[in-house]
Amino acid sequence: MFIHNFKYSLKTLFKNKSLIFWTFAFPIILGTFFNMAFSNIESSEKLEIIDIAIVDNDDFKSNEVLKTAFEELSDENNKDRMFNTKYVSENEAKDLLDKDEISGYLLVDGEDNKIVVKQNGINETIFKYVTEEISNNAKIINDIAKREIEKEAISGNMNINYEEIYKDALELIQNQDVNLKDISNKNLSYTMIEFYTLIAMSCLYGGILAMASINQNLANMTSQGKRISVSPISKLKIVFSSILASYLAQLIGVAILFVYTIFALKVDYGDNLLLVILLGIIGSLSGLSLGLVVGTCLKTNENTKTGVLLAVTMLGCFLSGMMGITMKYIVDKNVPIINKINPASMITDGFYSLYYYDTLDRYLFNIISLLIFSGIMILISYVSLRRQKYDSI
Amino acid sequence: MTVFKTFWKIVNRYKFTVILYTVILIIFATANMQTSDTNTNFVASKPDILIINNDKDEKITENLINYIKNNSNIVDIKKDDEAINDALFYRDVNYIIYIPENYGNDFLDGKNPEIKIKSTGDYNSSLAEMMLSRYVKVANIYLNQTKNEDELISKINDTLKENTKTEVTSKLNTDELSRAVFYYNFLNYSIIAGLVYIICLILSTFREEKIRKRTIISSMNYKKHNMQLLISNGILSVILWIFYVILSFVLIGDVMFTSHGLILIANSFVFSICALCIAFLIANIVSNKNAINGIVNVVGLGSSFLCGAFVPVEWLPDTVLKIAHILPSYWFIQNNEIVKTLEEVNMENLKPIFVNMFIVLAFSILYIIIANIISKKKRKIA
Repeated sequence: MFIHNFKYSLKTLFKNKSLIFWTFAFPIILGTFFNMAFSNIESSEKLEIIDIAIVDNDDFKSNEVLKTAFEELSDENNKDRMFNTKYVSENEAKDLLDKDEISGYLLVDGEDNKIVVKQNGINETIFKYVTEEISNNAKIINDIAKREIEKEAISGNMNINYEEIYKDALELIQNQDVNLKDISNKNLSYTMIEFYTLIAMSCLYGGILAMASINQNLANMTSQGKRISVSPISKLKIVFSSILASYLAQLIGVAILFVYTIFALKVDYGDNLLLVILLGIIGSLSGLSLGLVVGTCLKTNENTKTGVLLAVTMLGCFLSGMMGITMKYIVDKNVPIINKINPASMITDGFYSLYYYDTLDRYLFNIISLLIFSGIMILISYVSLRRQKYDSI
Repeated sequence: MTVFKTFWKIVNRYKFTVILYTVILIIFATANMQTSDTNTNFVASKPDILIINNDKDEKITENLINYIKNNSNIVDIKKDDEAINDALFYRDVNYIIYIPENYGNDFLDGKNPEIKIKSTGDYNSSLAEMMLSRYVKVANIYLNQTKNEDELISKINDTLKENTKTEVTSKLNTDELSRAVFYYNFLNYSIIAGLVYIICLILSTFREEKIRKRTIISSMNYKKHNMQLLISNGILSVILWIFYVILSFVLIGDVMFTSHGLILIANSFVFSICALCIAFLIANIVSNKNAINGIVNVVGLGSSFLCGAFVPVEWLPDTVLKIAHILPSYWFIQNNEIVKTLEEVNMENLKPIFVNMFIVLAFSILYIIIANIISKKKRKIA
């Protein structure tokens, strides 16, 4: 009986096209969209070579420090190249700025440097910053040179080699070594969160499968349920085999999504594949238990049940960052309790901790939370499912 | 009037769908509403930096911290490792500076002590790193010149003073305008997922086999029937469009009253017409309500993701944008983006906008033609 019901539950589930679309195909389609839309975000946040112009007047030409510095920073062979510089007249520079071909231009007027930009922004800030740094350097060189010359003069050396002194000062500036050590984690790609919420969504959507197959056994939902209710067989066996069938279908769906995200979308889940799979299995269990509760506790038609389940899932995914990655952080930071009881967030956070953290504490915490959540949900549906009696339907 | 009345009865049944997508629109539009002062002076971008100071209160260390503070936003985060790492991952902070123990003294001894940093690797963190290295460089250079701490500090600060004037040419209120553009870009999703969805559902209700059979044998002329349907659909679209426009006035404000706002509104009207045609096409292709739900969702999300309704257009890969050319949403959103950079409104500047609107209308006509061809083939029922 167990195997018989298991087999037919599975068949019924896979025959239901719209069910299979939402649980199998929809996450894959959504993932593809995510991939297309987000693949460029992080690389576009990297510093790029900035297009600028410099007004090529006499004041600039005579300013040796600015001239050489910008030449060096615009050199195509320099690996630290920052600018793509055009040397033009003031009118041409205005024109370029109008057409958005440059971020800004530099106008040297005597001792003063003026930068003209169209708007505030990061490129404009960096342009200003670098110009300031260069003119600072000019000041430092003068400072040091003056001191050296004074020293030489005091010591009575009348044969001062000015060129040598300036060259030394310049070298001093160029050879300054800043002792920084980057200790940040290399896995910093935050768009991964989108794909983790996608897996979470898929796990929870799987609840629809559990709900659909439990509906088959409920006397108030289907005529098949009525027949089962009056038949002399163990209800536990029937319900359990139906649920197992839906769990299997759900795991197949999640597995397909995993394979697709790993091989086609190149999503990075960290190094520990076994723990990733474990999280997928337990996450699916939480989705299943959610579907069971909605299926058994709500006494309405199937459409309303599906609507409630979808709404709960989407709300959970929204809070765990599907529609805006910072949402999860905002909730975690301000009202952490919400995400501690939100299964979508537990699943997302589990993947996140595997990806970002080296230690497993946070991962295990999420796994245990998911198990507790599923346990409570299954208990509730067990209580509401047992000893059901109908005088009339 | 029978058809007309029935139409609004069905609309009433689906009102929650419209409310749902409107609420989503409001949530996302308001989430993007952080106001910042609008001014025409240059405001430097400031990276978000967290400084963790393990040194004692040395003057030289203090000076470094002050310098960073003046040029960045110092973020306040709980001082525990997990909170800090989370903040870095979610870009709440771009750059973290760990000042080691005994930094001040080691620095004065000329040991050039190591500073540990954490960085997100984006342009804000690059700016932060430029800032930090510039300070350290200048400090090291002057350390060679003087060993007196106070003199050193004043030398450093004197050198790092701002020395470049900056002038901003654009007088456009980009801040408010980009909010308006974001709202109208997002409208792409609300219109397709909301308007197209309910129109499809209503049309499919009229196309249910039994109802259709009854309509066909009834005394009502099919032309009149179709005309009433068309008018009701048109009215529904216009009502929703007006509703969304009013909502934009409430949420965005001033900038909507300018000529820029007017272009955005006109553009969204053209797109509403197109949405109506999309709905006609989808309703003609499929009649199963579950299938409509799936198709509309995929079309709505797909066009929004690919054309830049959710993610700013400049962040989308070129190949994706090329694919997006075949969708009317792309031209709709392109128009909104043009408005964002429009300095002054004149005929020459408006030309590309009209061209794009024309393309959206051309799509609409194409959809109607296809829908008619399909419906003609499906007209006969046994």
